[in-house]
Amino acid sequence: MPHVLTPSQALAGTVDALLLLVQLALLRSVVVSELISLYAVQATLVALICLAIGISLHAADLIVLAVLTLLTKAIALPAYMRALLTRVPSRVELPARINVTLSILIAAGLIGLAMLTAARLPIRGGAFLPSADLATTLSIVFVGFLVAILRPNALAQVVAFLTLDDGLFFGTVTLAPGLPFVVGVLLLIDVLVAVFVFSVLVRILVEQRASASIAPLEQLRG
Amino acid sequence: MSHLQAWIIAIPGALAVLSLLLPSRIGRPLTAVGGLATGILIVVLALATAKGQSGLDALSALFLLPVGIVYGTVGLYTSWYVEVQGVKEAPSARYRRRFLALTNAFACAEALVPVLTNMAGLWVAVEATTVIAALLVRLEGTDAALEAAWKYILIASCGLAIGLVGVLLLYASATTVLGFHHVPEWQAYLAAAKRLDPDAVRLAFVFALIGFGTKMGLAPMHTWLPDAHGAGPTPTSAMLSGILLSDALYVILRFTAITTAAVGSHFVHTFFFIVGLLSLALAAFVLLQQRDLKRMLAYSSIEHMGVVASGLGFGAPLAVAGALLHAITHASAKSLAFQAAGRIAHRYDTREIAGIRGAMSALPYSGTLFALAGLALAGAPPFGPFRSELMVLAGGFSSPSWGLAFAVLGLLVIAFAGLLRWVTQMCGGERPASVAGGEDSPVAVTALVLGFLVVLGLGLIVPQPLAVLIERSAAIVGVAP
Repeated sequence: MPHVLTPSQALAGTVDALLLLVQLALLRSVVVSELISLYAVQATLVALICLAIGISLHAADLIVLAVLTLLTKAIALPAYMRALLTRVPSRVELPARINVTLSILIAAGLIGLAMLTAARLPIRGGAFLPSADLATTLSIVFVGFLVAILRPNALAQVVAFLTLDDGLFFGTVTLAPGLPFVVGVLLLIDVLVAVFVFSVLVRILVEQRASASIAPLEQLRG
Repeated sequence: MSHLQAWIIAIPGALAVLSLLLPSRIGRPLTAVGGLATGILIVVLALATAKGQSGLDALSALFLLPVGIVYGTVGLYTSWYVEVQGVKEAPSARYRRRFLALTNAFACAEALVPVLTNMAGLWVAVEATTVIAALLVRLEGTDAALEAAWKYILIASCGLAIGLVGVLLLYASATTVLGFHHVPEWQAYLAAAKRLDPDAVRLAFVFALIGFGTKMGLAPMHTWLPDAHGAGPTPTSAMLSGILLSDALYVILRFTAITTAAVGSHFVHTFFFIVGLLSLALAAFVLLQQRDLKRMLAYSSIEHMGVVASGLGFGAPLAVAGALLHAITHASAKSLAFQAAGRIAHRYDTREIAGIRGAMSALPYSGTLFALAGLALAGAPPFGPFRSELMVLAGGFSSPSWGLAFAVLGLLVIAFAGLLRWVTQMCGGERPASVAGGEDSPVAVTALVLGFLVVLGLGLIVPQPLAVLIERSAAIVGVAP
């Protein structure tokens, strides 16, 4: 008898797939504003999952965190980063170390590795589509690393880090919803890193170098 | 948390706030006294733990010691540093206040790590150290500091992201045993270890070793370390190298205990060997061709973390005890070396090794203590690191992996040669005529002398309470005494 998905499982599966598609799309974006939009979409999806889990578990802390995530990660941080962008040349081209096709192929390999790894482990999320939660988390983290490695651009690496954190956020709420303080700290770290650390560094980069490339900041050697 | 533990966290925490609000002429002595007071309280707590009279286990008490040793002297040293060292021109009042506040906040976060046994809480505390340290490194305001801060925040945060995956895997694998909404306490995981899925625990350990190993400076995840240690302010370098690396080790050891209980020790030994030998090899050869004083000390930290990891990899009781002691002896010697190096770099107005000659004649105390710290870090007797390295090697030769002990010994000899070459070159001979002679800060020299007494003392004798803590800690990480 074929296995029939419940509506919530089907919805969660769709969201899992969307999260991965957004992560893959980061690899083909050629302008920073596109990356920021993709990050905003991903943050919205993650916040919605957190909200759904919070409602299903009657966990008020998760519901509050979901709303905060939506306001900060999906709205405020992307807006702030776009404001930063206005200070650099209007269309910052993103260099890539390898071409898009090859990077997507590597990402597909990493996602395959994540799925194979997850399939071997008896780890199940309790809330939605259990078998995909760990695989999705690992996939987002792996591909986030790939984006950071392949894009030698300060702003792109900010976004890569933030999407990587989205993966961890997703993993925490789906696999360990009993750790809401970790979710809260992830949110706080994102805000701190993006606003107080990354953005300050990027701003100085922009002011001193008139671009957001990290190439001028590769003097420390040996 | 006992009253004593609460004070150890509260003092630097309160000083962070006060230093930001008060003028630096008040913040400086407060930081100096607060550092010393915290150091004394940590020693009192360690003594109580050795007698079984505190709520802390031995591993926590042991890894609080680097906080006490380093913060105790750095607090004093900072009161000199913040007056003379700043962004480009003379340090502004704002710079001084921010520097003191961040230094105390950094100490607070670093002291928090060893008192925690909640695995998720540990990740949170280590993440807090990353943010504060990045702000401190950036405070120098130079291009090199900016680059170092950028690399540090990116690499350390990504590393910790991997570490969090390890925590999540452990949590998720324990849900079948401890329930879906359990508190991720280390003791609970240890008790349930045999019932956890072995593959999940193995994977969690690997993620934790890579993630927190990044913070510990283990190769090949070490790339942030030479930059941050080299370009950051000297007191920050001392705290990064002396405390933060041992904090990261502490988290890894908590994972090690669970993994050893769940799947046996062979698995963790293999991984410790890989990262240990890689770190030793990389650092030993880079030390031979180093040109920057502080980066030389940074690579020495990677070398010493390699010694610790190798000692844990040998698994023999003596080697593991040596590795645990090495975390303490390295912290004390490296903190002393960085502080003395800061004095030398300030006097010569350069960090280039080639530009420094006759440091002992220019700074009779600081230069001499730097030379002694260099000898200690190279592994020469009668200092603390010599004793702990000897224990690691002796344990290694008595273990089934004795062949690898030869590799460790060979790499240590190379590192010894590299470090000694540069230290003798900088400290020996006469100072250039353009460099003034004589010490100018009794406070800074006092900090160095206090640090040296610890380095020497740990080489001459391991106090009984410390031996007890090491023995119990070795038992905690899965090695029978």
